[in-house]
Amino acid sequence: MQKTRWTALAVLMLGACSPQNGEQNDAQDGGGEAASAAQQKPADADSDNGPVRPPLDPYPSTYAPYQGETVLITGATVLTGTGERIDNGSVLIENGKIAAVGAGDAVSAPEGARTVNARGKWITPGVIDIHSHLGDYPSPSNQSTSDGNEVVSPNTAYVWAEHSIWPQDAGFTRALAGGVTSMQVLPGSANLFGGRSVVIKNVPARSVQGMKFPNAPYGLKMACGENPKRVYGDRGGPGTRMGNFAGYRSAWIEAEAYKKKWDDYWSAHEEWADDDSDDKGDAPEAPSRDLKLETLAGVLNGDIRINMHCYRADEMVQVLDMAKEFNYQVTTFHHAIEAYKVADYLAENDVCAAVWADWWGFKLEAYDTVGENAALVHAQPGGCAIIHSDSATGIQRLNQEAAKAIADGRRAGIDIAPKDAIAWITANPAKAMGVLDHTGTLEAGKMADIVVWNQNPFSVYAKADKVFIDGALMYDRDDPARSPRMDFEIGQRDNGFTGGAGQ
Amino acid sequence: MKKLTAFAAAGAALFAAAAPASAQTIAIMDGTVHTVSGGVIENGDVIIRDGRIAQVGADLSAPQGASVIDATGKIITPGLFAPYGNLGLVEISAVGDSNDTAPSGDFPLGAALDAADAFNPQSTLIPVNRAGGVTRAVSAPAAGGTLFGGKAAVVDLSGRPNSITRSDAAQIAVMGYGGAARSGDTRLGAWAVLREYLDEARSYQNNPNDYVRRPHSGRFALSDVKALGPVVSGEQPLFVEVNSAVGIRTLIKLKNAYRLRVVIVGASEGWRVADDIASANIPVILDPLANLPSQFEDLDSTLENAARLHAAGVAIGFYNQPGFGAHNLRLMTQQAGNAVAHGLPHAAALAAITRNPAQMLGLGDQLGTLEAGKIADVVIWDGDPLEVTTEPEAVFINGRPQDLGNRQKMLLERYRDLSRGDAPFAYRGGE
Repeated sequence: MQKTRWTALAVLMLGACSPQNGEQNDAQDGGGEAASAAQQKPADADSDNGPVRPPLDPYPSTYAPYQGETVLITGATVLTGTGERIDNGSVLIENGKIAAVGAGDAVSAPEGARTVNARGKWITPGVIDIHSHLGDYPSPSNQSTSDGNEVVSPNTAYVWAEHSIWPQDAGFTRALAGGVTSMQVLPGSANLFGGRSVVIKNVPARSVQGMKFPNAPYGLKMACGENPKRVYGDRGGPGTRMGNFAGYRSAWIEAEAYKKKWDDYWSAHEEWADDDSDDKGDAPEAPSRDLKLETLAGVLNGDIRINMHCYRADEMVQVLDMAKEFNYQVTTFHHAIEAYKVADYLAENDVCAAVWADWWGFKLEAYDTVGENAALVHAQPGGCAIIHSDSATGIQRLNQEAAKAIADGRRAGIDIAPKDAIAWITANPAKAMGVLDHTGTLEAGKMADIVVWNQNPFSVYAKADKVFIDGALMYDRDDPARSPRMDFEIGQRDNGFTGGAGQ
Repeated sequence: MKKLTAFAAAGAALFAAAAPASAQTIAIMDGTVHTVSGGVIENGDVIIRDGRIAQVGADLSAPQGASVIDATGKIITPGLFAPYGNLGLVEISAVGDSNDTAPSGDFPLGAALDAADAFNPQSTLIPVNRAGGVTRAVSAPAAGGTLFGGKAAVVDLSGRPNSITRSDAAQIAVMGYGGAARSGDTRLGAWAVLREYLDEARSYQNNPNDYVRRPHSGRFALSDVKALGPVVSGEQPLFVEVNSAVGIRTLIKLKNAYRLRVVIVGASEGWRVADDIASANIPVILDPLANLPSQFEDLDSTLENAARLHAAGVAIGFYNQPGFGAHNLRLMTQQAGNAVAHGLPHAAALAAITRNPAQMLGLGDQLGTLEAGKIADVVIWDGDPLEVTTEPEAVFINGRPQDLGNRQKMLLERYRDLSRGDAPFAYRGGE
């Protein structure tokens, strides 16, 4: 029995309850860019005795887009992700970027461009899942591959999800067939501080570095409520929600001290460098590094985005006070089942709510689901709703999950048009993850991350016909050669392939 | 807030017409009737009398005194029938005192456990699923330490105290990886133990007095052995969880050897052996969204499983893989829609969530289609029932109109307006 249930429970109890991450503020998008610029700096002192600066991304992205054609897709219904719908619209892809988006006759094909007639089809930005465990809890699911939760201490801010990602997870291929072009992979939710998340592009590679979204900011996964207290209740604590909070706050106090130590060191170093006297002595000594505190201090510095798994309304409100107490921003509450009860607080505090359409009842803190959750969050002025999956099957149908949430909202008198709701699975997660400047909408100059759907995507019958990532056609439903198949699925049956995208 | 207008439920309006809850005769007029037995009737009518379907057809006249429902532009189907899950046995999965789905691994009994003993018709899961059009369900205990879950019950979703349609309607067994985990960690062990149980049960059936008197190993609880009587006599379906192609082949051999009535649950690789399953006349309950090589026993999972099994002539039904076996039975429609998107004919998908489950449970003459004489489980939809954006506007169980409210809708009403108001939120809804 243990064996049988292990998979389901691991995902449900820890996966489902686990990660959070993502950010959403425009202000923080800027911060993300700044951080990524800093990430490119050398980790260590310059030859001229510059100060020690711990590397922000010592495992940098090696992702390089694949070659695409210059393609003009015409005649489609285009949802741009910016709130615009263009009937009989055209999208021009050139050099991996979106070159133009507009009404049919407003966009013309440059010489040598291939033109694709997409009459009757719909085009949206690539789908983005802000909450995935692909690679960390891959298929097949067993003890050997279970790498999503470092269940050894309530604070494992020192772990990085990317170090667990198995790029050969077949789940990536299935998600691709669902139109997913980028995602955030998070550690699980057993711990108060689960560790760093990573943003990846859904393009297979031999290493996770080959998938990392270039210059995307990092996230930190935190967890409210039942999971940490259940996991650590008989292992030294926390065993209560008040214990959870004490754990967070103690860690932030420690992180503040750590941050100050480094800030002081850099100031001292600057003073020392500016000192022209002959007897200024040796350069100040750098503090020792601490992986856990480095991540937490990264949050306080605004470089790392908080993704907090939090089901209950009252806990979200307390977390927002804690963020004020320690002067950081919560980007997104994940699994925010009760977001609708405090949708006004969330909007005022510029926090996104990432939710499921209708999951409920697997834990007491997931009891109060309403299908109108996303719509109610969206309806607040400045509200930011995201539909997330936390599931290797759910990620394949985020469009359907959004469709259910639209329909429930409409029946409750909250009429949200497809052109707006598409942002729940594209622009909003992109904003929260700090990559909106690059993807998440169909705007000239952005990465050509695009899905061509066989029909209105907010339908159970919708399927992704073509998925472009950075302008390269990575999936074509009608062309088996355009379907990735992971190593694990080679030769399992009759020396052929099983699986693949669209399986 | 944008556009928070008053909650105008079409269903509520419909009900006003249907009026009193005790109405004996109801005439649903001029809808598109999917009978699931004899095709689709445009502008069709369904007459319900005394809990049964009295007439189905076109151009019928509403009987004198009937509550008349104008279903113009609506879709009418049989009530949805969930063939596998644990509705009524669980409220919150992670809260032990509300979860009766499976005994702990060291508990000695299995097959003898009876869902009907603990099925809770007041479960809040029932109104939620009912609002999604589910009118009947199999409430099945899951296996704990033994290979058997126990006796499953067929229930209706009326929430009434007498909502058990048939107790001891099926026995549940887990094979494959789950069976191995309970049998020395091999599938070989699981099959051997299953045969041993069946042999013991036959032996008991043949001569109960002799069986209880003779010295035997006592490996199995007597009550479990007794409970398997209807299984070995071929009267009762044995639901067997098994996924791999090889596991299914072994099960077919066992079914033939013991002359069992078998229903396969899982069958993620079923399409690989679809012809064998069809020849053996075994229905299959599958999760049509299972397309990952989650375990080594379902490497060949595919979204086309449902379509391929159907094409081979296998009767199929749908269930949610572990974890959602009760709370979201209502998502059967989405499962069915996805199966259609991957090749299953629409009519076959509708049959998979209505008629086929009734037949699997031996209730095909009572439930599952819109035919005169059958129990009146009927749903009126605001559009294609398999689409994710539609929902029921009215649901009838045993001919009675059902309340489509639930605690989720009450929570919505309480929190749809977040302004402070004259009193705390806790006072809202009690007016």
